[in-house]
Amino acid sequence: MRLSRRGLLRAGLAGSAATALGGLASGCAVPTGSTGRNMVLWYWDGGLGDTVVKNARTRYDSSVDLQAIKIGGYYRSKLITTMAGRAHIPDIAGLKGEDMASYLPNADQFVDLRTLGADRYREQYLPWKWEQGIADDGTMVGFPIDCGPVAHFYQYAVFRRAGLPYEPADVSKELDTWEKFFAAGERLRQRIPGSYLLTDINSVFENVVQQGSARYVDKDRHFIGDQEHVRNAWALAVEAKQRKIVSNLVTGTPDQLSAVEDGKLPSQLGASWATSDLKNGVPKTKGRWRVADMPVRPSNNGGSFLSVTKACREPERAFRIISWMLDAGNQAQGFVDAGLFPSTPASYGLKQVREPDEFFGGQITMDVFGPAAQKIAVAYNSPFDVALGQPVKDEIKNVGVLGKDPEQAWRDAMSKCRRIAKHLGVSY
Amino acid sequence: MAALPTLEKPPAALADLPVGRPRTGWRKYWHLYAAISPFYLLFLCFGLIPVGFSLYLSFHRWDGLGSMEWAGLSQYRYLLSDTEFWSSIGTTIVIWALATFPMIFLAMVTAVMLNSAVRFKNLYRVAYFLPNVTSVVAIAIIFGSVFSTNFGLVNAFLQAVGFDQIAWLNTPWGIRIAIATLMTWQWTGYNAIIFLAGLQTVPGELYEAARMDGAGPVQTFFRITLPMMRPVLLFVLVVSTVTGLQSFSEPQVLLQNTSNDSTFSGGPGHAGRTMVLYFFQQTFDNNDFGYGAAVAWGIFLVVVLFSIINWRLVQRRGED
Repeated sequence: MRLSRRGLLRAGLAGSAATALGGLASGCAVPTGSTGRNMVLWYWDGGLGDTVVKNARTRYDSSVDLQAIKIGGYYRSKLITTMAGRAHIPDIAGLKGEDMASYLPNADQFVDLRTLGADRYREQYLPWKWEQGIADDGTMVGFPIDCGPVAHFYQYAVFRRAGLPYEPADVSKELDTWEKFFAAGERLRQRIPGSYLLTDINSVFENVVQQGSARYVDKDRHFIGDQEHVRNAWALAVEAKQRKIVSNLVTGTPDQLSAVEDGKLPSQLGASWATSDLKNGVPKTKGRWRVADMPVRPSNNGGSFLSVTKACREPERAFRIISWMLDAGNQAQGFVDAGLFPSTPASYGLKQVREPDEFFGGQITMDVFGPAAQKIAVAYNSPFDVALGQPVKDEIKNVGVLGKDPEQAWRDAMSKCRRIAKHLGVSY
Repeated sequence: MAALPTLEKPPAALADLPVGRPRTGWRKYWHLYAAISPFYLLFLCFGLIPVGFSLYLSFHRWDGLGSMEWAGLSQYRYLLSDTEFWSSIGTTIVIWALATFPMIFLAMVTAVMLNSAVRFKNLYRVAYFLPNVTSVVAIAIIFGSVFSTNFGLVNAFLQAVGFDQIAWLNTPWGIRIAIATLMTWQWTGYNAIIFLAGLQTVPGELYEAARMDGAGPVQTFFRITLPMMRPVLLFVLVVSTVTGLQSFSEPQVLLQNTSNDSTFSGGPGHAGRTMVLYFFQQTFDNNDFGYGAAVAWGIFLVVVLFSIINWRLVQRRGED
């Protein structure tokens, strides 16, 4: 059969017009948020304690039908796609800590929790954690779920065999500077050939940066990744490599896990949630681990928030639900359910979080993590930190893994940062 | 393909329509258009409009949530000066070449072997096709342990033969070879099946004539099979180019680790950072959706360019 081009075009146009009209018509009918008695909460697997979610459902059942939905995959992408599409936006949305910096500039998409009386609860939460949920203009976007105090995990027997301090209190006291920590690494290598204190150079670099009160871009949108705090972290990471205390293995690979199992990698600087990584990754090491303080001072890695979106029809009720779900009692339950480290200091004394942990030889890990969580420095987190921190992290990795010259690597990192800063409108 | 027989008289359905002024194509055939419209409508809705939107987006600055700012051509200007993007093109092409040529060779050999008289032909076909329907993520996880430094099969083999271990996933070329091997393994069977279909269209008389003229199997292959297979080869090359240049899951899963590191960095020295991985990193790690869209269009141009080059090469050989 013969098709005239004009006819085809006409058909196409008519079809697209119909689609466009249909789309418009249905577009008006799609609700922005939830409808009826529903109150929709979005979070991710392990983002909230299962028991806490279940109890919240029963507790508020008389007034709302709380639908807590676990979103799989890239949580943030799905949330912002839904918000940008302005349809079916959840009333309550979990926000991951590492994404906070990108949500805060768009605080107008969320209900300011201060208008719902959030300040009444302020005293019950870690001050630095509370600050992290607040945008530059003072709008409070996120209500604290958990945090991730970083500590020093080590294998008791290996440290003992290497002639290093091995009781948690002694390790905390004697390895309290990077210099002493590195010296311990050298000693370990001499006593037990083929073993390394840390897996990779990045664990030194990133932990030192996170100990400080500054990152890569400041409040005035100015690049500060070339300043003392980053240079110092860089120098320490390079030193760790030069003193041969870091392995050339990659975290999470079979090689690395077996080295951990064999006691060849007896030490890790990890956040509280890394305990579950250890328990799942190297279950055979049960009982061999202990926890001590990280050198110098604790840092934070991870931790999330709950927010009330602008699409929520009953913000007051939503806020009542989240402030109840995240009170000290429920945060302790979240710790038991999903290893979520409480951001409410009142939880640290509760019985259920002070259970001796067999994986850590019966140590009460809260004794290390609890005080650590309260000593963390507040750092401004810019939405441009990810883009401008990446070149530096990539280059230090090249130094660690590929043996690239540190001087050259630093210059390359800085020239990349300059280019990216210019593109993002960050002053240099 | 045989030409359709031309209709002598209109089919019955059209014959009893009222005869008036001559009908235009549109009025005459509207029900046929309607019948094929669903695909076009869906494509328009879920294909064309998003594509158009991504073009629109590439002229803006957008963090995915707030308001869009007009950026004019600045995203494209930055793209042209972005050495990271150019190096990702290089990486992609290297991995594509490392994967595609062995893959086509192996697929051809496999197909020729399957085409000769073997028993259990269908079993082989299914077996060769299996890698293609397996999830890339699962394959990448398995390959991650195959190429692991101390416990990998590859290194175990190398040591058995007397070579040293290679830290495959920690050295730039090791990473590229690992990714290429994965892609080769995944696509060889699929393309072998396509080649096999092509082989079966070659008329038997040609082979008989060749045998009569005293051609050996090698000569027969190069003088008859290969020339007759040209369109199929072209198809396979173009499809492999389009898929190979868009490789994303392979490096992403193979090189991700559980540390805080970005999972889209492509390993040490960005050795495995393909174009699409770079696009993903810019868009979803940095929340730079405008630039991400510009990168996507850059990738589109590269893929189109390569397809044209491929097309030309294979066509040119046909004219000689």
